[in-house]
Amino acid sequence: MAAVSVSKDSLESDSDIHITLEDQQKINRFARQNAKWEELRDDLKHKKGDLQNLEDASDDLLLVEDESAPIPFVVGEVFVHFNMEEAKEKLEEAKSKVKKDIESIEAECANVKSIMSDLKTQLYAKFGNSINLEAEEE
Amino acid sequence: MASTAACESIEDSLKLSGKKSFAGIPEATFVEDVDAYMKDREGVESILRQLDEQHGKYKFMELNLLARKKKLKSQIPDIQKSLDMIQVLEAKKKTNEQIETHFLLSDLLYSRAIIEPTDKVCLWLGANVMLEYTLEDAKALLEKNHETARKNLSQVHHDLDFLRDQMTTTEVNMARLYNWDVKRRQALNAK
Repeated sequence: MAAVSVSKDSLESDSDIHITLEDQQKINRFARQNAKWEELRDDLKHKKGDLQNLEDASDDLLLVEDESAPIPFVVGEVFVHFNMEEAKEKLEEAKSKVKKDIESIEAECANVKSIMSDLKTQLYAKFGNSINLEAEEE
Repeated sequence: MASTAACESIEDSLKLSGKKSFAGIPEATFVEDVDAYMKDREGVESILRQLDEQHGKYKFMELNLLARKKKLKSQIPDIQKSLDMIQVLEAKKKTNEQIETHFLLSDLLYSRAIIEPTDKVCLWLGANVMLEYTLEDAKALLEKNHETARKNLSQVHHDLDFLRDQMTTTEVNMARLYNWDVKRRQALNAK
């Protein structure tokens, strides 16, 4: 999960091992941001999947020739029958909501990433090889 | 300069977070200087074992909090769906149209139903209790539940953050203690 570790094999110099409270707080903050970033990444993946489904649905809707046939549209756990325009409207609404969510998640992602890279440079500057701040590749 | 600014912002965020120990999570003491810390303690192994035990406890608490978080995270979209449905019902009531729906009878079976424009909905309150409400009351209740769920979720996030901090501090303490011990042994052997 949080991929912060201080190397157990570094025996080079004393300054490596001397960690101040400020450093500890920075490391903690980095761990928090890392966890938050992973969560945001998952959320983003789900939202993008949702958006893709909505796009597919609206494409399929365009293929329906019979304009008067009711379209069952999912609201909660039931299907409500709407006519063509209402269904299109609902789809557009849902799509724009998901797009907005995606935008706000991406903005937060960028914010978290910049904080993380900032902390990274600071911590690497002080500890060099004795600390590992890379994310675990899945 | 930059580092002091970062330090100040960290202090500020600590002050904003209010009390230091959350929901019974013990705070891990940060060790400033390993030498001074070890001066009046004997038995590096036992201290390492203590720290390891503490770490295990933190991990266990983390599992709990993560399970709570997952439950809350799944509750919120459910409440949202109910709110959506109420909106649709309200809209239909205004135009006085019937609603034709397919609803779930079981996982694989849907049934057709025609809903007259209505003012009343029944809300499932849990514990095998279902109450009838007017549309406005139902909306108010669901919105209140939504708010509560959101607040609880943010509280759990807060606790998780704090817990993670303690875990990281403990991990770093363990690593530093181990390093210090190795150096000490090397120094002893060198003599």
